[in-house]
Amino acid sequence: MEILSGALVIAGLVFALLGVIGLYRYPDFYFRILVTANIDSAGLLLLAVGIALQSPTAAFGLKIAIITVLALITSPLSAHAILRSARDTGYRIRQEERDD
Amino acid sequence: MMDFHTVILMVIGALALADIVRMVAGPTIFDRLLCFNVLSIKVVMAMTLYALMTNQSYMLDIAICYTLLSFVSTVLIAQFIRTRGML
Repeated sequence: MEILSGALVIAGLVFALLGVIGLYRYPDFYFRILVTANIDSAGLLLLAVGIALQSPTAAFGLKIAIITVLALITSPLSAHAILRSARDTGYRIRQEERDD
Repeated sequence: MMDFHTVILMVIGALALADIVRMVAGPTIFDRLLCFNVLSIKVVMAMTLYALMTNQSYMLDIAICYTLLSFVSTVLIAQFIRTRGML
């Protein structure tokens, strides 16, 4: 159980690292939000499952489940709000970067 | 010799630091909002891990409140920009 929990926590960290790399890798804002906002909730899900496997009491695991469900609901909603705000204020993909 | 969880907390802190650098350097305000969204998820990860390290569950209540507050603040700032200050 310890090894499985550690492996899940490390897998969550790898997803978080991929999200941060995606912030630096892509040239335009729309590519960045497409990669990062999806990857990070997957990282939180894996890490929370890994921690909940080691939870000392039942209430501890239940609270972790509440946090995970809340984060999985709110993370795409806030990404959608940022994206709609960027589109409605006239942000567009620049032409010279799209041709690369 | 450091604990396994301590190393994981240090890695999360390094990722959050890289995220803050991107937040300062981001060209538009939407990049900064996206970085804030990612950073709040990192903070929730660190809070959950710290609750496991100390075997106390009060930090999880703070993490629940932090998740909801970061969602509300991100949506509020995004709508504030979208309506150009007229909410």
